[in-house]
Amino acid sequence: MDFRPLDPNERQKLIDALRGNVNSSQAILTNPRDTSFAGASDEISDDEVISAIKSVPVHYVA
Amino acid sequence: MLASLQHFLTFCRNRLRNVFVAQRPTLPEPATIPKAYRRLERIVLTDGVVRTLFDDFDRHRETARGEEEFGWVLLGVREEAEAIVLAVLPAGAQRHASLTHIQFHSNAQTVATRLLRQTDKRLAMLGVAHTHPGSMRHPSSGDYRGDIQFVARLRGREGIFAIGTADASFPETVTSSEPHRHGRGSLCMTWYALAEGDPQYRKIPIATIAGDDLAHPLASVWPTLETHADGLERLCQQLSGGQLSSAGQAFSFAVPLADDPRRLRVLLEGPQIRYYVEDEGNLLVVDPEAVTLEHGVYAILAELARRRSPDAAL
Repeated sequence: MDFRPLDPNERQKLIDALRGNVNSSQAILTNPRDTSFAGASDEISDDEVISAIKSVPVHYVA
Repeated sequence: MLASLQHFLTFCRNRLRNVFVAQRPTLPEPATIPKAYRRLERIVLTDGVVRTLFDDFDRHRETARGEEEFGWVLLGVREEAEAIVLAVLPAGAQRHASLTHIQFHSNAQTVATRLLRQTDKRLAMLGVAHTHPGSMRHPSSGDYRGDIQFVARLRGREGIFAIGTADASFPETVTSSEPHRHGRGSLCMTWYALAEGDPQYRKIPIATIAGDDLAHPLASVWPTLETHADGLERLCQQLSGGQLSSAGQAFSFAVPLADDPRRLRVLLEGPQIRYYVEDEGNLLVVDPEAVTLEHGVYAILAELARRRSPDAAL
């Protein structure tokens, strides 16, 4: 069993992925073989994009 | 002999699993480096997108509603410090607009977005461009009141905004007069960014790269799309696995049937709706005698479900 601590680079990437997940629902990828961290996805969910389009406000000169 | 061979193969499999799985480092090099969004530093537009914006603006001004405001949704990729605009979706003929306001026909834009995202799930909502009457080249206080709430829904909690006016005298090819402004003929586009909590919009530089407007092929089918957008959007929400496509002025929605190689396909062209079942190369025309698009789709699905029933022959 491996209890190797993260190196600073790995640690920063994991923090960025977690922050992206909290702030903007960015998906965190896991390795399906051993569930280890495999980066973050560039893909964005349909729900996120569609709900943003539906919430475009009325623009008016006032 | 066979037992020995099985034992040997099991031994090899366990050894390989130990080597390639159990002894893997716990944190391999990530496949994709997570993005850490910073404040936007610039906007990148493809030349196809720029062409669409100015062409649409020109055409809009020639119509009977040319005095009204017009606009577009901006789709693309949000990088850490720049927004790359790859597609623009027009406000549509069913927009609500006047000299002083505009509200987009959002269901047409959502269906178009679903189609574009079938091939690229990175496409995100980046912001909005709209036109102003006269020479008001900056967003209004009314724009700000809506946009400051809206940007919280966007990646990086920041959006891009453009104001189009017809008060300029640029050359007949698109030219930049300032880092955040470009124009063609009398038309001018001025670009801004707004992040959550900002007290005001800020000017942001633009750059142009070679590339298409990914939504350009939808321009000819847009009237059909708008006609059926509300029904299509509800079908997309309710049925998983639906595939959208367009060709010329026709729009298509196909639904795979569960545990069945067949697909139900709806072809839309103007107000016309035609229904088909695709069955291993055969195309069956179906008339569901329906009053709406959704009614037709669900009537056919209900009939197909009935025929799957063991009692269907009765």
